[in-house]
Amino acid sequence: MDQAAPSAEAQAQRAREFVAAFQALRSEVQKVIVGHDDVIDHVLTGLFAGGHVLLEGVPGLGKTLLIRTLAASLDLSFSRIQFTPDLMPGDIIGTNMIVEDAAGRKHFQFQRGPIFGHILLADEVNRATPKTQSALLEGMQEGSVTVSGTAHMLPAPFFVLATQNPIEMEGTYPLPEAQLDRFVFKLRVKYPALEELNEIINRTTRVREVAVDRVMTGPQVMSYRELIREVPIASHIRDLASLIVLASHPQWERAPEGTRRFVRYGSSPRGAQALVLGAKVRALTDGRYNVSLDDLRAMALPALRHRIILNFEGEAEGVDADRLIEQLVEAAESLSAAGKDAFLR
Amino acid sequence: MPDPSVLHRLVRDVTGQVRLRRAEFFALRGLFVAALVAAVVLALRETLGSAAMATAGGLLVLGAGAGALVGALKRVPAGEAARLADRGLGFQDRLSTCLEWAERPDRTPLVEALVADTLARAERLEGRRIIRRLLPREARFIPVPLALGLILALAPPIPLPKGGLPNFSAKTEEEEEKAPDRSGRLQQDERPRAAKREAFPRAEVQERSLVPRQGAGGQTQPGDLTAIFKDTSLGSRSPDFNSFLKKGDERIRMLEQVDRLPDLQRDFTQSQYKVMFQRAKELRGGLRPDQLSPEKLRELLNEMERLGRKGGAGNPWAGEIGEGMEALEQGQTDKAMEAMERALSKLRSMEERGRDGKGLRGGRETDRRGAQRDRGQGRGGPGEEGDFPEGGEGLYPGKGKSPSRKGDATQRLGANPFDVGVEGESRQGRKDGFDTNLLGRGANMPSRLQYLGVVGQYRKMMEEAIAREQVPRDFQTQVKQYFQSLDEK
Repeated sequence: MDQAAPSAEAQAQRAREFVAAFQALRSEVQKVIVGHDDVIDHVLTGLFAGGHVLLEGVPGLGKTLLIRTLAASLDLSFSRIQFTPDLMPGDIIGTNMIVEDAAGRKHFQFQRGPIFGHILLADEVNRATPKTQSALLEGMQEGSVTVSGTAHMLPAPFFVLATQNPIEMEGTYPLPEAQLDRFVFKLRVKYPALEELNEIINRTTRVREVAVDRVMTGPQVMSYRELIREVPIASHIRDLASLIVLASHPQWERAPEGTRRFVRYGSSPRGAQALVLGAKVRALTDGRYNVSLDDLRAMALPALRHRIILNFEGEAEGVDADRLIEQLVEAAESLSAAGKDAFLR
Repeated sequence: MPDPSVLHRLVRDVTGQVRLRRAEFFALRGLFVAALVAAVVLALRETLGSAAMATAGGLLVLGAGAGALVGALKRVPAGEAARLADRGLGFQDRLSTCLEWAERPDRTPLVEALVADTLARAERLEGRRIIRRLLPREARFIPVPLALGLILALAPPIPLPKGGLPNFSAKTEEEEEKAPDRSGRLQQDERPRAAKREAFPRAEVQERSLVPRQGAGGQTQPGDLTAIFKDTSLGSRSPDFNSFLKKGDERIRMLEQVDRLPDLQRDFTQSQYKVMFQRAKELRGGLRPDQLSPEKLRELLNEMERLGRKGGAGNPWAGEIGEGMEALEQGQTDKAMEAMERALSKLRSMEERGRDGKGLRGGRETDRRGAQRDRGQGRGGPGEEGDFPEGGEGLYPGKGKSPSRKGDATQRLGANPFDVGVEGESRQGRKDGFDTNLLGRGANMPSRLQYLGVVGQYRKMMEEAIAREQVPRDFQTQVKQYFQSLDEK
């Protein structure tokens, strides 16, 4: 069926609806979660960018609660897997079971695992073995899982939100680089400030049930994901995104000193994709129809911090990946055409 | 699609501002250069006359004008102007995105919304300057050449030095001598004659003989032909072969013994140990001592044995060499290697004994000691070759009891102590160096060279292991500090 292209006004209207829906979703989450405004914004950005989000923080900061609240705010199915060392891939994906039909004949039937949900909470993902962690790889990238040679499609939208604890390293299995790369953003959940802590106490120690409304459906999420991809980006901003990613590679001849000294592996092209898609979501939520340099700068940290693998010297020196990325952005901007005093050239 | 002409007009406006600022920038730069040139012109006012003032003024105008022209004519790409406008007007890259996407065939409806939004914002703008003025560094110094030029213009002209320069062309002596021929003899007599230049004395090339001092290269045994070649006194004298023949010198007979002949190609400023060590190094060919093949080891042992024979009867490492050869015959390379190392160690200790502060006493010292030893054993006697009185008086002609002439004393003894030919050193202690450590003490303590080699290797392995095993950060720091401490050792 030939569908007429929507007019500019209709698209502008859709963009405005998206902004309103985004605000509504954020408000619903903020009914339960105190503070963490940046984390909430970035989780929602990841949802609309079409990626998956990894949340890292010490226990008790509300990571799991944030994800559960988000799932409750969306009219989507929700699965939760508590990752443990004895968890097996079949526990996530599902397995073929022998069943008996009405005629008494036995045959294999695929029993779907918890991965078959719209929103998947992979709690403490680094407690499972790499083998089990890898069970998520295909689902996160392809949106499908293959069991016994048969591919099973996952429902759309499929959104994985994983949490991990950075301090308890005993008995954990750090996520492999390939797994980390599949997360569009890695967010650090910080400790709340004094006022926020007081508010948390007020909200959680009284007998009061907070009701969260469902404000968005699955098709709406998919529609907004398409809209976001229509946001135009100027070539000099796209070039800057590429330069930032290239500058994270120590092998690149124009890489800054910090990269050469402390980085073992730089970001993959998925990093550039995450950067630009995140910037597009941010532009729309900011009421703009184009990506700006500020959008790119704002998305650099969550999109790249898990994609830069420090070398031994970087680890031993305690180099902060965030600080390194800030230097990368500065270096890339000085290399790009958007430098200062350009009019003198 | 909204008409983006307003946006193009905005970009043109920004382009105009850029041109203006560039013109200002380059005009100031041109003015600075022109002011410098004008100051020079005014300094030469006496030569140039009244034209100097006009020239200086013209230069200033020309410099500034040319700079402004260059700045104004420089190309301003539309994309760059749009980005400057975005920055200056706070458009957050709307304008540059619009101009880039408006003409593209794959533009989406959202681009049209973007153009409309940007147009609305542009129409609300009032004309304002967004490109700030930027001064070149030279602009701060413009007053200096201008003030200088003003002073030069107001002050009287600077007198320039006159007169020709002295004639530096060199005349040959022949020309000087021929000059009087051109004039008459009378005039020549009347004219005072200049004193004839004396030829500049040429510096004598002082050649220094770097022949090593006798006896400096370790022990010299009686009958060692190398001593002949080390004897500087013989070197400075004309050879008297008849005296050798008449006396039936033992040295002539020794010439028949081919294997005792010194290798004239060899540098005898080096000690036996050094020669031996270099030979060992050549044979090893870059391999570690433990990688030495039995053939090479045999060759090395043979070489050492030959060196021992040359050294005279008292070959202290003959036992080790024999032991090494025997072990090699039995296929025990390790034992052969140990024996060779022991032999080298002995060689080295002899070397060190030879330079333990007595080396500067002259090479005959060892000869004398040898003679005394022989006398003590009942060999030799007064008046024989090698018999010297106590105190070393026999070293000097006419002072000893020995009737035989021993030659002149070494002249360098009281001379320059920094002579490069002097082998004996007054410095105490062992000579530090990898060579000594590698072969001399390698049997008893680990070689420093090998240690340095493996530390880097272990460090790499440690880094890989830590990256692989995910060691906690605190432990990583400790491990790193440990390896740093190893490096410092």
